[in-house]
Amino acid sequence: MSVQDLILGLHRFWAGQGCYLAQTYDVEVGAGTMTPDTFFRVLDKRNWRVGYVQPSRRPDDGRYGENPNRVQKHFQYQVIMKPSPAAIQDIYVQSLRSLGIALEDHDLRFDEDNWESPTIGAWGAGWQILLDGLEISQFTYFQQCGGIDLAPVPVEITYGLERLEMFLEQKDDIYDLDWSADVSYRDLRLREEKEFSEYNFTAASVTMLRQAFAASQKEAGRLIAKDLLLPAYDMCLKCSHNFNLLDSRGAISITERVKMISQIRTLVNDIARRYTGGKDGA
Amino acid sequence: MEFLLELLTEELPASHIRAALEQLEAGFRKDLLEARIDIRSLKTLATPRRLIVAGDFAEGQEDREEIVTGPPLAIAKGPDGALTAAGKGFARSHSVDESLLEAIRTPKGEYLGFKRKAKGTPTVEILADAVPRILGALSFPKMMRWGSSPFRFSRPIHGLLCVFGGAPVPTSFEGFQATDETLGHRIASPGRIKASDLASYRAALEKSFVIIDPALRKKMIVAQIEAALAPLKAKAYPDAELLDDLTLNVEHPLVIFGAFPETYLNLPIEVLSTAMREGQKLFSVVRDKKQLAYFLGVADAPGDAKGLIRRGNERVLRARLEDARFFWGQDRKVPLGERAAGLKNVLFQEKLGTYDDKTQRLKRIAGYLCDKLGAAEIREDVVEAASLCKADLLTDMVKEFSGLQGRMGGLYAREEGLPAAVHQAIYEHYQPGSLEDASPASVAGAILSIADKMDSIVGALGVGLQVSGSSDPFGLRRNAQGVCKVALDRKLRFSFPLLLDRILGIYGDRLTVGRAEIKAACLDFFGSRLRFILEKRGYRYDLVGAALGPGVDQIVDVLARVEALDALKSSPQFEPFILMVKRIANIIKGLPAAKVNPDLLAEKEERELFSTLSIVSSNAQPMIARGDFARAQGIIFKLQPELNTFFDQVLVMAEDKKIRQNRLGLLQSIAKMLLGIADYSQIVVEGEKSAKPKASR
Repeated sequence: MSVQDLILGLHRFWAGQGCYLAQTYDVEVGAGTMTPDTFFRVLDKRNWRVGYVQPSRRPDDGRYGENPNRVQKHFQYQVIMKPSPAAIQDIYVQSLRSLGIALEDHDLRFDEDNWESPTIGAWGAGWQILLDGLEISQFTYFQQCGGIDLAPVPVEITYGLERLEMFLEQKDDIYDLDWSADVSYRDLRLREEKEFSEYNFTAASVTMLRQAFAASQKEAGRLIAKDLLLPAYDMCLKCSHNFNLLDSRGAISITERVKMISQIRTLVNDIARRYTGGKDGA
Repeated sequence: MEFLLELLTEELPASHIRAALEQLEAGFRKDLLEARIDIRSLKTLATPRRLIVAGDFAEGQEDREEIVTGPPLAIAKGPDGALTAAGKGFARSHSVDESLLEAIRTPKGEYLGFKRKAKGTPTVEILADAVPRILGALSFPKMMRWGSSPFRFSRPIHGLLCVFGGAPVPTSFEGFQATDETLGHRIASPGRIKASDLASYRAALEKSFVIIDPALRKKMIVAQIEAALAPLKAKAYPDAELLDDLTLNVEHPLVIFGAFPETYLNLPIEVLSTAMREGQKLFSVVRDKKQLAYFLGVADAPGDAKGLIRRGNERVLRARLEDARFFWGQDRKVPLGERAAGLKNVLFQEKLGTYDDKTQRLKRIAGYLCDKLGAAEIREDVVEAASLCKADLLTDMVKEFSGLQGRMGGLYAREEGLPAAVHQAIYEHYQPGSLEDASPASVAGAILSIADKMDSIVGALGVGLQVSGSSDPFGLRRNAQGVCKVALDRKLRFSFPLLLDRILGIYGDRLTVGRAEIKAACLDFFGSRLRFILEKRGYRYDLVGAALGPGVDQIVDVLARVEALDALKSSPQFEPFILMVKRIANIIKGLPAAKVNPDLLAEKEERELFSTLSIVSSNAQPMIARGDFARAQGIIFKLQPELNTFFDQVLVMAEDKKIRQNRLGLLQSIAKMLLGIADYSQIVVEGEKSAKPKASR
């Protein structure tokens, strides 16, 4: 089974669970959670089911293509089910079986892990899912997002596609994975990892990134005032990515780090409050 | 009659299971006691998906006589003794014959009433009411909601099995009707199971690959580990906490014994074991204190016939070790000295500055301690260690495994070829992590450890961070206990109050609380930590109080004092001496200080007491100064005969004011000398009553 077979399999499975299959969002994000198809849709009262692939950028995880497991960009398969179905754990287990994993021969564990993202004012309770010790998914009952208590409660399931694929193909090196029958992960991604690692750690201009952060931050504030919440949120995502790049360039002190995260969160919380019809301020 | 309850949930965190079992046991005991249901046995069991209560309870309450009271007798009966309208009304409302009414005496006066036989309520009814109440009251370290309900619990709930006397209890919890059914192991045997008592429940679940008893699961793990390692003559590196957690993480334990490539044995053992434990909850394998290229994990599965679980874990561990090797290589490219410059950007505490600020303070505090401890030969090394000890916070390895802080710095310093005293001090400066943990093995490490902790404590108290109850955000208790433990273990003699003065001086204007106030708070805080440590070591609380009475000057002296008291406490001289000291304390209590004028000593007995005191005092002083309290105390017992005669023959409260003052002054100087050794007045002797003060925590 190739990466694209895996994606097709998950698409088919979650479509079968009533999920709408979204297309990848086109702004850099650190996690599938941050895209509007999750962020905005979990905030309101409406039921919502969605599944999509989202590249996740973590500049700090770059290893110049030399580490068999870590990459500065990987792919997540993100599922949101709102409200969380009572049988969601069983459904998740079925999704693994649907990929052809004979779970009877393995050790599947729901291991306590309470996910949180201070940048977007979000946290939840749940587990990391371990398959023979390998973390293949994050499973979270979302409690808060944008600083707002969520009701009904969405469940978020995030599959790490490369991890799962390494398990399925029984391979030790991410670059050996088959994306399709004749295109490998190496073909697609190795050069990108090398160049972006160089960019993330040494070549990116700190001055430019700082300016970009400040500009996006300012723009977000301006757009919020105009009640253009989706564009404002995009600006917050840009802030977040620029922040991550500054961080991997080693340009951020701990004090500054706390300050910048809180700057983004303030904007995001403001957006969430307005989106849900709350008043400005506080 | 047998009671069995199982709340089936999604996987609960181990800490939540522990919290729930405690509350369940207490909840059932309390509710059944209040409902007057006899508990013959009660125990709790658990798996990650099940909270289980099993017990043997009486079938119902005992039948009993019940008193029903009505209006006060004065209102219910007329002066003639006949029932008034109110009295008749009471009888009517309870449909009771008027002839059965009688006067009921209560603390509030006499009332009209009657007695009736009340049938005991069946236990099943009590349980139907108690079960949802007890379950609903469970609280967890972190609670969550799910679905569309506002109800909060540890993790979502999936079912309630609740039977009493073989039949389901007519009750429900959060929409789950109690049944006699549950589910087996999630993967290995997920079908329905029926159970009407503990024995059938245990057996049916075992068949479905669920072992309900944590103690049994732990035994299975230990036995499987031993079996796996026997041929190698090796041992799993002991880790009780990990074992306990794993026991609560699985329904059916299966020990996985795997290997990793020997090349990774080049990594320091600290890195290997941390990567295994923190990353993957694996036990390391050691033989003769040397790490072997094996590991042990615990899976939740009936077996691993195809070896897939083992191979999967091996692959994951290899990836982690590869990462660790990457960090180990990268980190060593930058010397610690160079890296330490980056500490300017790392915040220690908002008001206390960066880790660079802390480093500068540590150099001075550590240097001061070297001077005071006469450790001139290592002073330079200790100060160098202080300047480098926080640099590892900026290494990739410590960013990945924060538990390796300090140790990593020490290892990198060793790799750089720094002197042994330097790298050892860095390595050890977070030790001891707890009272059970070992103190630094090197003097340099001990000094740096004390300097680091004292800097944190003085700083935190100095900017108003408080320790109270369960809140101790800066780990001040652990730090203070660490300082005491290091001083005691390594017998380090330095004046604690002077050290405080020095640190306060180094902090200068940074602190927001007044110096005198900080110092008093520190002394008080350390007094309470020493009390905790010494009582934990088994010393009598009153002896500890007496040893702390003179205040904390030398930390080691507090221990020496209590040891001396403890050694003397059963000698025949001890009790009369204590009583005598108390007598003195009572006489001079609250009086202004008076001086002794030898010329005014009128009686022979008081002159003799005075001269003995002079001799005892001059002998005892040097012993006190060097902390030899055992001998000092032995010597002061010599005062006893003279004191006895003094009190027998001499009237302290003499008529002549000058003579009286002089005698009181004599007693005061005795008391003052004694207080240099211990506050004997705190010691409780036979025949005296004193409530034990609440242990300070």
